[in-house]
Amino acid sequence: MGVPIFITAVTNCCWIGADNCVILGILGTDLSWISKVQVNHPAVLRRAQQVQARRTVKKEWQAAWLLKAVTFIDLTTLSGDDTSSNVQRLCYKAKYPIREDLLKALNMHDKDITTAAVCVYPARVCDAVRALKAAGCNIPVASVATGFPAGQTHLKTRLEEIRLAVEDGATEIDVVINRSLVLTGQWEALYDEIRQFRKACGEAHLKTILATGELGSLTNVYKASMIAMMAGSDFIKTSTGKETVNATFPVAIVMLRAIRDFFWKTGNKIGFKPAGGIRSAKDALAWLSLIKEELGDEWLKPELFRIGASTLLSDIERQIYHHVTGRYAAYHDLPMS
Amino acid sequence: MAAATRTAPRAREIFTTLEYGPAPESHACALAWLDTQDRHLGHYVNGKWLKPERRNSVPCQDPITGENLASCLQAQAEDVAAAVEAARTALENWSTLPGARRAQHLTRLAKMIQKHQRLLWTLESLVTGRAVREVRDRDVPLAQQLLQYHAVQAHTQEEALAGWEPMGVIGLIVPPTFSFLEMMWRICPALAVGCTVVVLVPPASPAPLLLAQLAGELGSFPGILNMISGPTSLGPVLASQPGVQKVAFCGAVEEGRTLRRTLAGQGLELSLALGAESLLLLTEAADVDSAVEGVVDATWSDRSQGGLRLLIQESVWDETMTRLQARMGRLRVGRGLDGAVDMGARGAAARDLAQRYVHEAQSQGAQVFQAGDVPSDSPFYPPTLISDLPPASPCAQTEVPWPLVVASPFRTAKEALAVANGTPRGGSASVWSERLGQALELGYRLRMGIVWINAHGLRDPAVPTGGCKESGSSWHGGPDGLYEYLRPSGTPARQPSLSENLNYDTFGLAVPSTLPAGPETGPSSAPPYGLFVGGRFQAPGARSSRPIQDSHGNLHGYVAEGGAKDIRGAVEAAHQAAPGWVGQSPGARAALLGALAAALERRESALAARLERHGVELKVAKAEVELSVRRLRAWGARAQAQGHTLQVAELRGPVLRLREPLGVLAIVCPDEWPLLAFVSLLAPALAHGNTVVLVPSGTCPIPALEVCQDVATLLPAGLVNVVTGDRDHLTRCLALHQDVQALWYFGSVQGSQFVEWASAGNLKPVWVNRGLPRAWDQDAEGAGPELGLRAAQTKALWLPMGD
Repeated sequence: MGVPIFITAVTNCCWIGADNCVILGILGTDLSWISKVQVNHPAVLRRAQQVQARRTVKKEWQAAWLLKAVTFIDLTTLSGDDTSSNVQRLCYKAKYPIREDLLKALNMHDKDITTAAVCVYPARVCDAVRALKAAGCNIPVASVATGFPAGQTHLKTRLEEIRLAVEDGATEIDVVINRSLVLTGQWEALYDEIRQFRKACGEAHLKTILATGELGSLTNVYKASMIAMMAGSDFIKTSTGKETVNATFPVAIVMLRAIRDFFWKTGNKIGFKPAGGIRSAKDALAWLSLIKEELGDEWLKPELFRIGASTLLSDIERQIYHHVTGRYAAYHDLPMS
Repeated sequence: MAAATRTAPRAREIFTTLEYGPAPESHACALAWLDTQDRHLGHYVNGKWLKPERRNSVPCQDPITGENLASCLQAQAEDVAAAVEAARTALENWSTLPGARRAQHLTRLAKMIQKHQRLLWTLESLVTGRAVREVRDRDVPLAQQLLQYHAVQAHTQEEALAGWEPMGVIGLIVPPTFSFLEMMWRICPALAVGCTVVVLVPPASPAPLLLAQLAGELGSFPGILNMISGPTSLGPVLASQPGVQKVAFCGAVEEGRTLRRTLAGQGLELSLALGAESLLLLTEAADVDSAVEGVVDATWSDRSQGGLRLLIQESVWDETMTRLQARMGRLRVGRGLDGAVDMGARGAAARDLAQRYVHEAQSQGAQVFQAGDVPSDSPFYPPTLISDLPPASPCAQTEVPWPLVVASPFRTAKEALAVANGTPRGGSASVWSERLGQALELGYRLRMGIVWINAHGLRDPAVPTGGCKESGSSWHGGPDGLYEYLRPSGTPARQPSLSENLNYDTFGLAVPSTLPAGPETGPSSAPPYGLFVGGRFQAPGARSSRPIQDSHGNLHGYVAEGGAKDIRGAVEAAHQAAPGWVGQSPGARAALLGALAAALERRESALAARLERHGVELKVAKAEVELSVRRLRAWGARAQAQGHTLQVAELRGPVLRLREPLGVLAIVCPDEWPLLAFVSLLAPALAHGNTVVLVPSGTCPIPALEVCQDVATLLPAGLVNVVTGDRDHLTRCLALHQDVQALWYFGSVQGSQFVEWASAGNLKPVWVNRGLPRAWDQDAEGAGPELGLRAAQTKALWLPMGD
């Protein structure tokens, strides 16, 4: 079904930068993009409930969707006890996310199904880059940065952290925003900070983590999303996985609406990454259909949609196993990540 | 182990397109149930299947494939009689049970539904074509909640509803387009308070029959719920069965009107819930994306039966239309039994209706946007958005059918109110605005039964659901739903009082001429009383007066001979006074009623003397005046405690149950108790914020006119208008007046019948005495809660909260 797309020309900003990255020259009057916004909390909650109940995929469709979901995963390990050995194991799993024979059974073995990226702490970027090179693949390495997860360090060190991670070979940087700027309503300051992150990233993609669990209201979520996109983020991401509330549907709906509004205003597609708490294959399917419903099929590709997760992959593999064999897998049937 | 192959040839393709696939819900259990009936459904009466021979049968078809699922019998009059007989027999036991026992039975039925819910939802979705998700996730749980809520009400009935008794056998008529849930909304309160029910379900709708079977299989009390399947045209037959005390009808407005006329004078209560159109009011202060979801909830999610009128503030018109059309592009239409569709099919009739409306709208210059390509020969109809429909076009006046949304712009909130209130419909509406003040203002001022703020289509058993104006004034759910099936204890049962030869065209049409009535006595002839209209006494348009005789046959005085023009003037005056009176606080109203009571007290001897001339003993006359004074004071105080807040399980935030004035209330007072009845009716009407046009006692109108002398000095002009004259003629004028919002009639049998018949015009709620006297001096009948219930209308205002 055709979706009418309306693009309003934006006259008061200039475009710098290449590929997916948008940099608005002048903020000025653009604050009007966020000043009038209305988000009705109970209505968004109802929509969140509905969207999960109204779509379902079964059989082949489910298997295909799950394999697609694998290609959206930013396979993540963000623990204090990460060492080069478990990062290496993670990287190998990123390259071979689903058992080869299962893929063959689905006639999908030649589709080069890997996860979208591997996501680690800055100190582990070198390990990951080395491991992926050894595995012979070009899966990008994403690094969290800017005082992850709280962001409560000096701006100078936060920027330096980005530069170092990029130097180490990270091509995607997941930065956390300064929540205090949101809570005190300093939108222009927030814009300036993210712009500096953007510059520090250079060629690397910038994913901006809004830490929505700590923003206080859905209206703030919308405003922060819009500012992050205006400042040149390639992705906006729900949460660090370290807050008490992580990727929830209501928050996602608000962020997706912001992405759509930004697209209608500027013609630029910004990516979306939910992270934290997405563990089951069923959750993953719900997230895919949420993107499909709110943004459309054109957002269902790794350049525009990622799922930050660590344990999700094994559940997907389990479901694929069941789909192919008709049996439920034992723990030892599937390789660990 | 090596993966054994159950290959999926299409997985590769789907991996690229990421399309939705079919997600069929198995309907094997529905078919198996139909098999238990040999694919041949009858009626369910007295706990047993009733399959009489030599009846026509109609096929029950899958609306999408056209496959024949079963054949259903069409009832004839004798089947209806058998069902009513079963309900009457069951009533004796059921109505006298302690409430706790009935509560237990309803709870058991809820459990029974829970056990067989899959059967229920697959059967309903299979036959009606509605999206299974809606039936499964909403209707079936709500049906159980309804039973549980009403079980609680039955439990507390003796205490909470003392002074009320069950009406008796209730006839319920449900049209084909309504889901089984609409039936549950009405059955549950009726059963809870002790009534028994006969439902006339449209042929080829097995889900209600299944429900009746589930109820029947509980064993005890088999006859309390009986289902007859047959066309709506059997409605009058059901109504005419002896023992049926009330008929509840939901369906189309014109059908309701016809039924109202047919049942006039039959002595039974009729409650109507008409039309299915809803309204959505989107202001510039709204969360537009959420409001768009509200539109989807209202029309495109198989939740409601009707279409939607969408009012959009001009400043956000473009933005809303863009978002709405984008959203429409993602709606999925398909087989109801698929787990991933938004809209199913509703059968050929609904599709053709939508088609006709769209064609007509297009021919009148409207823009039509439809998402997706639905071939014209398919059973489906696509979500449709109509805009630029000229407001004056005939199409814009008619009810919007499913699944259509008719959008039109407005400039200011005031204009939105004028447009929204400017239709004869008064069902449900939602207001979308993030500005609290604006949202509340619109919510309070919309003349609708239900208003949701920033939500659409929420339902809960504890919240009354109903309407006003031509949407019919019946209620279900909450306390109001219970009163629909109760009457004050001691009310005489239905007595057929139908006068077959009453000519509606001529009743009260001509006014008998008034001639001089014998010698005038006394030193100077008394001047005639005028009509009390707009706060002063006026000469009647007819410029003639009618003599009033006292109990000895002597001339007591002259009163004005009012006519159609005077009624028109009185109603106009009442409308002008209405905004001011509605705006008064209940306390201020009580103070004014108190002042009127004090004035009456001062006038006691004069009033008593007037009554005495009409043959009342002086002592009794004085008592009548005293009691009248008390009534005025009592109603002033009572009306202060109005409405309340309801708690709803799944909603964060309150629902307000508001009690609002009816508007202009016309009251034809009885001949007896000329002062007391007049005051007893006037007081609750005023206390609840109505403005009134009264026709006082015909034999003794003078005390009422005396009271008006005080009204003239104490109350705002136009609040109370009293018109004397020929009662039949005045009744005719009032009953046929389209701008009178309610009518109470206490007079003859024929008058009552005429009033019921004529009320079909604007479907005003009427209260008639059918020629029966009423003990106005007893508090139960003269000042009981029934008067308070009838003097105001309910509105449910939903206020979800959260930030």
